[in-house]
Amino acid sequence: MNEMNQTPPQMQYTPPQPVEDPADREPVNGVASVIECILRQPKRIHNALRQPGVTGVIGSMVVVSLVCAIIYGVVVGTFSGWPQLWIAPLKIAGGLLVAAIICLPSLYIFACLSGSRARLVEMAGLLAGLLLLMTLLLIGFAPVAWLFSASTNSLGWMGFLHLLFWGIATIFGMRFLSAGFAGTQARSNAGLNVWALIFILVCLQLTTSLRPIIGKSDTLFPGATEKKFFIKHWFDSLDSETNSTRKNNND
Amino acid sequence: MNTTSVQTEDRSLGALLRGEVAALTAWTANWRALHFSRDVTLIVVGAGLFGAAMGCWRDPWQALYAGIKLPLILLLTATANGLLNAMLAPLLGLRIAFRQSFLAILASFALAAAILGAFSPLAAFVIWNAPPLTEGAHNADTRAAIMLLLVVVIAFAGIAANVRLLQLLRSLAGGKTAALRVLFAWLAANLFFGSQLSWVLRPFIGSPLLPVQFLRPDAFKGGFFDDVFHALVQIFN
Repeated sequence: MNEMNQTPPQMQYTPPQPVEDPADREPVNGVASVIECILRQPKRIHNALRQPGVTGVIGSMVVVSLVCAIIYGVVVGTFSGWPQLWIAPLKIAGGLLVAAIICLPSLYIFACLSGSRARLVEMAGLLAGLLLLMTLLLIGFAPVAWLFSASTNSLGWMGFLHLLFWGIATIFGMRFLSAGFAGTQARSNAGLNVWALIFILVCLQLTTSLRPIIGKSDTLFPGATEKKFFIKHWFDSLDSETNSTRKNNND
Repeated sequence: MNTTSVQTEDRSLGALLRGEVAALTAWTANWRALHFSRDVTLIVVGAGLFGAAMGCWRDPWQALYAGIKLPLILLLTATANGLLNAMLAPLLGLRIAFRQSFLAILASFALAAAILGAFSPLAAFVIWNAPPLTEGAHNADTRAAIMLLLVVVIAFAGIAANVRLLQLLRSLAGGKTAALRVLFAWLAANLFFGSQLSWVLRPFIGSPLLPVQFLRPDAFKGGFFDDVFHALVQIFN
């Protein structure tokens, strides 16, 4: 009787497996190929990161990210002019690198807790890909940022604009990371979501710790002596801007 | 010069204006100096004529300045946002090359410029019939009517160009969703950059109270988004 109630194995439903493009299996060689793939064939990067000897790909991604961050930093520095033209690129590129180094261990831990079978080097590659996509998009936004830098005196507005561009770039970067994470047999995305929040908070706090990035200061790192939470810093900046606007209007 | 090539070029221009998807897809597939120069020429001539029609109400020099600046806005927007638009397309589901995205946007701007150029005699005629834009003249109603006419024409040209661009994107993407996503992303980026550039390159019509100038002395100061941001900050403070 029990045998009669059992479902025959051939009746079990198996969900259709997504068909993989053979082009996604091709190796990624060289800086140009890395840039091309991250924009058009992100799966190719994901697959490349699972192969042995991926340090070259990761190295390329990190180097290109830093170069892009430096270029965008120069555009950020045009708002205040010299010496921010070299300080802003240094702080932005350095800040991104520091954020990545700080957050890499927690990304790996969250990946393991989510059931992912990815190695640390694969997670480092995904993080490098996140940085690369973010900074490439920031380069795309650079002409817009330059136009506004040249045509406004408002520090608050420029700060908001750069945060907006960074936010858009981060969304696309996180999509790349999430797609790569899904391919590591992780059971859920909850850990990744928590990590994304941590990464964003770290980046935002670094903008305050490394201040000023857009504006000018007498010292290179005034944030080293005067500690502030980034939200408090934003409100303080907006207050001082509103006060100076009111003063100008009264004059 | 043989007759066939002339006929082909005539068809090319007509196909752009009609928004024939097959022809547009073929043109964006390759860099062709002929198509590129045709689009740039259409932008320079079409938008230039419309700019001149706008500026001629104030002064002949203002007509010349606006005739230079309006095409410049379209060309600079397409160029400056070219890289960003090319990156956004594949990220939003449309795998096209930088060349294709740049040429597609340039073609849509050329189409808008062709429409503007076609309406420029009408705009010039309306402005020629209007009382002069001089200091002390009470022509607020006329100014409002002319501004409305110009806005309607520009909006019509923009809508027509974007409808054609959407048709092209749909054929390239093979679906509506990705095409719409890319179109809206491109629109947002181009409007954001273009509106600030328009502010920097003002005036176009000019004011009777201010001198005729190519750029205002405070060209690189402030802007629409800047003002909105300050207003919001003041409200929340």
